[in-house]
Amino acid sequence: MSDSILILPILLPLVGSLLVFVTPSQNRILRSAFALLFSGAALVTTIITFGKQLSFSTASWAGFGMDFQLKLDGLSGFIMVVAGFTFLALLYSVAFMQGRERERQFFGFVLLGSAFVTGSMLANNLVLMLFFWEGLLAVLFALIMSGGAKATPTATKALVISVTADFCLILGVGVVFWQSGSLNMSVINLPLDNFWNGFAYVMMMIGAVARAGAMPFHTWIPDAAVDAPLPFMAFLPAALDKLAGIYLLARLNLQLFQMLPGSGLSLTVMTLGCCTIIFAVLMALIQKDYKRLLSYHAISQVGYMILGIGTALPIGIVGGLFHMVNHALYKSCLFYSAGAVERQAGTTDLSQLGGLGRKMPVTFICFLLAAAAISGVPPLNGFFSKELVFDAALQINVVFYIVAALGAFFTMASFLKLAHVAWFGKMTQVAQKAKEAPWPMLVPLVVLAFFCVLFGVYNPLPLHGLVEPTLGSALTHSFAGLPHNWLVAGISVAVLLLAVANHYYGVKRSGSALGSSDHIHYAPVLKPVLAAAEAGKTDPYNLAGAVMDVFALVLATIDKAIDWFYMKLVTGIAAALGRGLENAHTEKPWHYVLWVLVGGVAVTVLFFVGIGG
Amino acid sequence: MGILFLLVPLICLFILNLPRRGAAAKLAPWVLGVVAVLQMVFAATSHLACWEPFIGFFTLPVPVALVVDPITAVLLFTIALVVAVVTVVGIQGDARDKVITSSLVLTVMAGMNGVVMVRDLFTLYIFLEITALSCFVLIATRKELRSLSAAFRYFILSGLASLAMVLASALVFMQVGSLDFALVAAAINGQDPATMTGLILFVVAFCIKAGAVPFHGWLPEAYSSSSSAISVLLAGATTKVAGVYAIIRLSSEVFAGIPGPAQAFMALGALSIIVGAFAAMGQKEMKRMLAFSSISQLGYIVLAAGLAGAAADVTVSLGGLQTSIAMLAIIGAVVHFVNHALFKSLLFVNAAAVEEQCGTTQLDQLGGLTDRMPVTGWTSVIGFLSTAGLPPFSGFWSKLLIVIALVLANQWVYAVIAILMSLVTLGYFLILQRKVFFGELRKGFEELKEARGALVGTSLILAGLTTALGLLFPFVLLLLQGFGLV
Repeated sequence: MSDSILILPILLPLVGSLLVFVTPSQNRILRSAFALLFSGAALVTTIITFGKQLSFSTASWAGFGMDFQLKLDGLSGFIMVVAGFTFLALLYSVAFMQGRERERQFFGFVLLGSAFVTGSMLANNLVLMLFFWEGLLAVLFALIMSGGAKATPTATKALVISVTADFCLILGVGVVFWQSGSLNMSVINLPLDNFWNGFAYVMMMIGAVARAGAMPFHTWIPDAAVDAPLPFMAFLPAALDKLAGIYLLARLNLQLFQMLPGSGLSLTVMTLGCCTIIFAVLMALIQKDYKRLLSYHAISQVGYMILGIGTALPIGIVGGLFHMVNHALYKSCLFYSAGAVERQAGTTDLSQLGGLGRKMPVTFICFLLAAAAISGVPPLNGFFSKELVFDAALQINVVFYIVAALGAFFTMASFLKLAHVAWFGKMTQVAQKAKEAPWPMLVPLVVLAFFCVLFGVYNPLPLHGLVEPTLGSALTHSFAGLPHNWLVAGISVAVLLLAVANHYYGVKRSGSALGSSDHIHYAPVLKPVLAAAEAGKTDPYNLAGAVMDVFALVLATIDKAIDWFYMKLVTGIAAALGRGLENAHTEKPWHYVLWVLVGGVAVTVLFFVGIGG
Repeated sequence: MGILFLLVPLICLFILNLPRRGAAAKLAPWVLGVVAVLQMVFAATSHLACWEPFIGFFTLPVPVALVVDPITAVLLFTIALVVAVVTVVGIQGDARDKVITSSLVLTVMAGMNGVVMVRDLFTLYIFLEITALSCFVLIATRKELRSLSAAFRYFILSGLASLAMVLASALVFMQVGSLDFALVAAAINGQDPATMTGLILFVVAFCIKAGAVPFHGWLPEAYSSSSSAISVLLAGATTKVAGVYAIIRLSSEVFAGIPGPAQAFMALGALSIIVGAFAAMGQKEMKRMLAFSSISQLGYIVLAAGLAGAAADVTVSLGGLQTSIAMLAIIGAVVHFVNHALFKSLLFVNAAAVEEQCGTTQLDQLGGLTDRMPVTGWTSVIGFLSTAGLPPFSGFWSKLLIVIALVLANQWVYAVIAILMSLVTLGYFLILQRKVFFGELRKGFEELKEARGALVGTSLILAGLTTALGLLFPFVLLLLQGFGLV
């Protein structure tokens, strides 16, 4: 097998995307066939190449060390996951996008996005990685825009936030090149002992975690959950964005920089992870919409991955990467269930939903498994990856552990609320009309739920096969099997039980399932903070917008002053001068003779007094 | 061979007046054309050895030296070019007007040729008077009150100038004993009161002839009230040769090294630039605006001429070329002289086209003419861009030379004035262009047609020359070097 097969996982979705774009817009069947065929073929090639060490490079690409180098190693083996999720997203969209406007655009850009993410994970050259990385921005914008005209502000917001973060990334790459003298990722290994290396790490880290959706670069995700087509949420923010962002974060910590556990930068990253966990989960808890609730969890869960990888301990990195895979599985599954609800019931407003479980049993079971997985219920996959992250956090400092455990409590609480309101309870008017979703939507749900169970019950499969090879020699022993730290596991289970108790208390106190989180929502200190956050007052995008408004006002004032200077003052003086001089020309001969005499005097004076020089 | 440039126009003037009036009127343009072309050929080839055998033949027993040096040759060529333009634009009126006007043009031509060739102050005075007297009548041939009063004002001020010049010549002759340029230049030192008074009177006289501020009172109406062809002749050649050329020649050769005249010329030049530009901005009539623009542009030439007198012996190295600031300033002045003849003739021809087609040149009665008169509109753009000194047109290079010379001589005040006033030039020409040619076509002009072929053709040729001279300026400089200049 030639190493040039590495180009195929990028090329196949790309070709598929071009074919989708040129297919006539009425021909749904051909378009769906192209999409599934090419994403399926890409999945097959990633499975064939999985576990191998391959590298591919052309002789010369752009010069100045910017070479077209691809490399497949343990960490970039996650492209198989990317290909798998692309295939599932397209399969789901065949049914979901039926009859919606901009359907062709959606299919084409999903394939294109898959090609870009795969490329950014295979690239072994920082500039090539940036090329693919930035390419995804166009896809992000286009996919949100395929939600229709109302999505334009959200798409702009997503683009602005991502571009800001990616600017940091590019800056970081520039500093890395300056410090290391190379753009080849397998050569670079910078010690974090001087300012510029630390600066480069922070800049690149910002680019990575922003792509993954960490705070404070997350604010476009809940908006997109409402405005963009639902498979987009399952495809990018829930799956591929996390894969790409966390992949790069792991790449930074494992390879590009010599990250030490307990160092200042490590603690910074962990703090960022903890903040993301706790604030996002609190926001999720108070949501009254199925999709927005899920979108805040998509942010909160990133915190666990960042926390795990930020520890720079083998157990933390394994936990973070494992959590990334798990999160992609259950969060996609949850978003797909939301899509099924939206399509079948016509709304995702929780106050109108209820008792769907009996009408859509397959979706219901899949939702239940995924919700249990995200909450960390044993023996599902989320439980095991969270245990690894908890363990790593505890090894650094108990504070991180407490925040992480608190996050697990609120996660459980919010999913109890969601399940109780939407799936159990009394059947509402909307739910009466709902039917089970069509099979192309059910297949991804079932497949993902199955993997949630499989990766939990038999966790050596993903850990041995996918996650642990990324560490290489740094791995001293396997983390597969049951949790090693029984104390932590015990506390986790206790936290889950506490969450259940809290749910009963909340339902009893407010009298409805929807109000089960009201006692936290309206708690004395939290109430104004959460209200401000929900109103977008803490959104950096809005804050930056306000600053920009002031800036624009200042510039406009200066501009007006300059305008006035040229348009009014200068031209006014010139015009007045012109009029005055014209009026002085009286065309009376004796006036002119007088001028000549004055001129003669002036010449006489000038003979003795020079001007200038 | 200098006498040829006097004899040819005078002989043709004689020929023109031999036939009956009707036939002479038909003949007139051809005579003018032949004279102009002949003079262009003679001027362009004046430095060649092929004329040597004839020089003895043409040397008549006249007690004046007529010299054709490179600068004179360039100016003779320019004069002929402007006369050619006048011929093509065409002299209006009945048969009598045509013959009289053509005869006067030939007289003016002979006078101008004399002015640029003579080398002593008294003969210079005679030729200036020939030119001026012919001009009074030329302006007055239109027989409108406005033209007559303009001619009268020109007559009054020109009389003052003549008076001053005769007085000055007498004073200088008393001190030096000669009026020959070379002898005066050698003997004069500008210390004693009589010579000083003489020099002051000379400066006043030539500034009146040139129309420098504040001696310019006669100029705007003289240009704008005369008929189209005469406007071109006055603006393009006559007043420039009579006044400005004389200032260049005297300042750089005769009064060189004496601070007084140089200071006066530079200050008056700068004043002309400023007043001319701002007054042009206040105009409401196209030809009057062009007249004030002329005052502003001649200011540049007078400024450069003054600089040539002030910095006569300072040598500089410029781009590997050893030259003097005075030489740079003279070249700048002469090239600007030629350029001004080109683009001001172009603009006056376009003004003539507008006047013929629309019946008015009032700015507020015109608008959007480019729609109907594209050639006139767009050649005007070239003309005013060249006037404002924008590359790649010829006006850029001459202004650049003048500014370089000013900067090298540390005359920063004048350099800044020269540059800033280019902006004002652009400003008032933009006003002109916007009000006359661009924008919405004014109501009532829907049936408007492009001007007649002769005008359009002349505009195109002049615009082409301006552009070509700008684009090929390095070759022009080489050519001037070949003449022994620079």
